[in-house]
Amino acid sequence: MAITHKYTSLKSRDDKVVTQMIISGAVVIVGMIFGVLMLASQGGLIELSAASFYQFLTIHGTAMIGSAALATSAIMWYFLSHYVDLSKKIFNLNLVLFLIGVVMTIIGIFSFEYASAWTFLYPLPALSGGAWGTTGALLYLGGMLVLGVGFLLLYIDTGRAIIKKYGSLGKGLGWDVISGKKAEKDAPPTTVVASTMVTIVNISALTAGATVLIVNMISVVNPAFTFNPLLAKNLTYAFGHIFANATIYMAVIAVYEILSRYTGRPWKANKPFLIAWTMSTLFTMIVYPHHLLMDSVMPKWILILGQILSYANGLPVLVITAYGALMIVYKSGIKWDMASSLIFLSMFGWTAGVVPALVDSAIVVNHVMHNTKWVPGHFHMYMGLGVIAMMFGFMYFLAKNDSQLKTNGLDKFAFILYTLSMFGVCVSFLVSGAISTPRRFATHLPEWMGPAQVGAVTGIFVVIGILIFALHFVRYIFGRNKTSINSTTQETEVS
Amino acid sequence: MVQTVAWVVSLVFILAIAVVFGFVAIKSTQKQDYEPIVKKWYKIRKVYGTFVVILMIVVMVYTLRELPFNQPVYSEGNEPVIVDVEAFQFGWKISEKEFDVGQSVEFHVTTADATHGFGIYDEEMNLIAQTQAMPEYTNVVYITFDEPGTYKILCLEYCGLAHHVMMDQIVVK
Repeated sequence: MAITHKYTSLKSRDDKVVTQMIISGAVVIVGMIFGVLMLASQGGLIELSAASFYQFLTIHGTAMIGSAALATSAIMWYFLSHYVDLSKKIFNLNLVLFLIGVVMTIIGIFSFEYASAWTFLYPLPALSGGAWGTTGALLYLGGMLVLGVGFLLLYIDTGRAIIKKYGSLGKGLGWDVISGKKAEKDAPPTTVVASTMVTIVNISALTAGATVLIVNMISVVNPAFTFNPLLAKNLTYAFGHIFANATIYMAVIAVYEILSRYTGRPWKANKPFLIAWTMSTLFTMIVYPHHLLMDSVMPKWILILGQILSYANGLPVLVITAYGALMIVYKSGIKWDMASSLIFLSMFGWTAGVVPALVDSAIVVNHVMHNTKWVPGHFHMYMGLGVIAMMFGFMYFLAKNDSQLKTNGLDKFAFILYTLSMFGVCVSFLVSGAISTPRRFATHLPEWMGPAQVGAVTGIFVVIGILIFALHFVRYIFGRNKTSINSTTQETEVS
Repeated sequence: MVQTVAWVVSLVFILAIAVVFGFVAIKSTQKQDYEPIVKKWYKIRKVYGTFVVILMIVVMVYTLRELPFNQPVYSEGNEPVIVDVEAFQFGWKISEKEFDVGQSVEFHVTTADATHGFGIYDEEMNLIAQTQAMPEYTNVVYITFDEPGTYKILCLEYCGLAHHVMMDQIVVK
């Protein structure tokens, strides 16, 4: 029996999405350069003042999470807009607010020496120890707030559009299929399911984030105003963990859409898939207490649940998404190019990054690895080899879909260079964590410097690889064929 | 040492995942109908899924047996030494800094200003225990030092400009 699958037609020349990807790509490159400078400083290869290091730390975290969110929301918007009716005005407004927010944070950091890290634990923004003043703190926190409001509006719009088309967010997650009220063949597309999940978790995250940002802003202006520090910490991680995590859930839409097109194999939203995404929706929102495992004042049952839910949150990735990607590629006769290679790599990066994350979520392990460089080790793996690979894989896909531009040997070289060097960066962080090196230290003891030096050098290669990826995208922007649409409605028969 | 186990376990699983992805990538150049692949590998997924769930439950039960938050049961006559620790930008006020090997110690940790991290390092600079120093709250670290030596206290939560020099030391005889 033949399996027939229809793909939606993909729009060519979506200038809004392309613009957003360019800006995200540029911010990622700048963020990476700051990352390399920090590693070089920790490795004793260059000298940075402590003030500069912590400003770089703040801009690096903010830039990487911000640009990853901007790029992956563009990926989600690009594919979701083929299934539901999204507002272009809101999409553009989000970009405008993002840029305003970025400018405010940059001025706050570099003109007013603000450096609270992007996690800005209350009441640190108000207590700089003489390093920064009220203006810098307000510019940074206000910038983050403006940026967050833009994303919040975007997700309210995706929620609106999904509800309008499918009836409710529950139906967007396929709950009527899970309950048996609707047949599996009528399940919402994978893109809609993932977008619904992201809409739910990010509206929650951004609300928590906005709350704690406003609290911090008030306390900066009026130190007499106090807030419960434990609640503030919970809100900060409820925002930070979910928002950072959601970038991969948005980016994985590119995996569903691109791999199924390349292999001619449908990625169906069957019951296990839908259950997995409902699990991810729930767990992603409530798993953040694993950031508070070193706060014994938290109710013990919440901390134990933090470990259990962390493990449970790994299941959908390990058993459904990664497994699905492997199945779809296995003996598919896929034609490997830059887009498909980066997308396949990204699934490896995500899956591999889950491992050290799961290891660290065990309370006894976290007890001696919390806030060591082990933590950036695992998130650089799933962000660097996962989200960033998905992001540039999507860029190569856009370029191929929308122009006659060919990739060349330099692109292939960049793929190998990026893969190996990004892996090197991740391993250098993990090794640092294994030898107890604290994270967020402006300088390192001599015994901690070796891995940092390896990270700095491999980081330079990462930047070179990314610059080559970006070069292809720049060539595409200047040379794209305005009339060609390679990907119209496709119908693939798999017999 | 927990860190070594964490590193080796992670490395083994990451390499195993790399081997699986590499194998599928090599096999991807062959072409086969998808339907029999779906049938066969969905069956295998059930086994694999069950294995992963069981593995996670076993690891969970094993690692949750003893938690660092649990106050130990002290034997009679072995009262713990209560040490008050207050962090501040950028240093530590520690009420007692000298201990004996085998003595039960409880560090009651809080902060006068921003959030800090209280990390105890042994002489080889291995992190052996930690907690967070949070305003208005007191977190407790329960520890019995097995080895004599000079232990370092490092701040493990970013707290501002001199975060990396916020160090102190305690001595175990």
